[in-house]
Amino acid sequence: MSDKPTQPGLEAPLKFPATIPHKVGGAVFGMVDALGEFFRVLRGTIRYSIWGKRPKGEVLNQMYQVGNKSLLFVCVTLGCLGMVLVYQICLQVNKITGDMSQVGSEFIKGMVHAFVPSLTAMMIATRVGAGIAAEIGSMMVTEQVDALRMSGVEPIEYLIAPRFIATLVMTVFLTIIALAVAVGAGTLMAWASFDVNPVVFFSFEKVTAGDMITGLAKAICFGAAIPVVSGYCGLTTRGGSEGVGSATTRAVINSSLAVIVLDFILSALAYFFLQSRGL
Amino acid sequence: MIRLEKVYKTWDVPVLQGVDLHLEEGVIWGLIGPAASGKSVLLKTVCGLEKPSRGRVVVDGSDITHFGESEMMSTRRKFGMLFQNNALFDFMTVGENVAFPLLRAGGIDEAEIEERVASRLKAVGLAGSENKMANELSGGMRKRVGIARATIATPPIVVYDEPTAGLDPVTTSKIYDLLRGIQDESHATVMAVSSDIVALRPFVERIAMIYKGRLIYEGAESDLDDCEDPVVYQFIRGELEGPL
Repeated sequence: MSDKPTQPGLEAPLKFPATIPHKVGGAVFGMVDALGEFFRVLRGTIRYSIWGKRPKGEVLNQMYQVGNKSLLFVCVTLGCLGMVLVYQICLQVNKITGDMSQVGSEFIKGMVHAFVPSLTAMMIATRVGAGIAAEIGSMMVTEQVDALRMSGVEPIEYLIAPRFIATLVMTVFLTIIALAVAVGAGTLMAWASFDVNPVVFFSFEKVTAGDMITGLAKAICFGAAIPVVSGYCGLTTRGGSEGVGSATTRAVINSSLAVIVLDFILSALAYFFLQSRGL
Repeated sequence: MIRLEKVYKTWDVPVLQGVDLHLEEGVIWGLIGPAASGKSVLLKTVCGLEKPSRGRVVVDGSDITHFGESEMMSTRRKFGMLFQNNALFDFMTVGENVAFPLLRAGGIDEAEIEERVASRLKAVGLAGSENKMANELSGGMRKRVGIARATIATPPIVVYDEPTAGLDPVTTSKIYDLLRGIQDESHATVMAVSSDIVALRPFVERIAMIYKGRLIYEGAESDLDDCEDPVVYQFIRGELEGPL
């Protein structure tokens, strides 16, 4: 027993034993809350991207941060992946038929339709998504986001909307550049390792309008998803530097997951609405 | 001006537990209490930065408890706030930081904003620092910039969260001297939170103490020494023996 004087009315709060239903219920309510908050961020981002006020030059600044600073990273990654893929395809084809005439056109079709948009987006999710979450997360833990709100500024409008526009636009541009690099590197690899004539390899004959629409739609959707997911992770940062680290990790994982899930959904939609109609 | 009725705030643990408070217009009110007792959360609840789990918060006649974000935006314009860690925007210069609330409020031309920023920086002893970056400043200077930003729009309610945390005694005195000067001009309602009770007491008219999320004392500053509550007694005297 403590002999310290006690305070009337300062009894310890009631604590219920944490049973499994309590924990499950808490987790479910937590997920519903998180989902509600995510959709608030998504709705706000779209609204403020169209009607919001932005600091002068902020979108251009963000485009530079997202685009220019990701360019080398994306090009190196996609160039290497293009070469590895072509090497493996040529190796297998060489073992079976030895006819390399179709490798290039099939490779380019696959790149346009699926690989380049998703791989570029994954790279952007890693670099840009982490950056957005870390920046906004740091502002959260240092109360800068609260200071914005006290100045009558909605943080989604000021912080996420410019990054959303910039990432969306630059993801499309980076995807186009990455496609050129991957196809160029693949052509080089096929010629250097398997003596495939670059003119034969570099063929777009199998790329349909549907492939291009699908690739472009994917780039746009991925470019939209990354800043919203990362911004949400940043705005829900709690605690100090540990919280910022955790938000950054969540941003990379969740953005990458969003890219993969959207890739699946968009591929299915493209199959039903475009390929089935011969596009 | 500000009224809190049975305000509760709970995250994983209860932070505020049935806080009742009424502040008249123009009062200088101080809040003291041990670390993690709910001081900053109480201030943020008044400003609408945190929503209470239960209870009512009334500011200037409006019940803001269930306000949405857009309604809250206009309510927050009545407040100026100095944050515990200053919360200066580190990607902006000192001038941009101080001008920020005016720029966002709109309706003021650039020349007038520049003039008001220069005059406010002069008032806080930082004349000519407009172009310095926020992260180049010392702790005391950052605090002064934070005060300039909180008061530039002459809001009717000013909230100071730990205005002298981490500062040496001389700088602490200078900061309170500065706050007094600003208060003499503005006559705003002031809410100031501090763990540094010695420095805070001469500045405020009324004072409250929060402990484990409850206001255990609220009254005139001059009556604080007569309070017989053992927690208040120990806290204001800094004694080792006691319930704290």
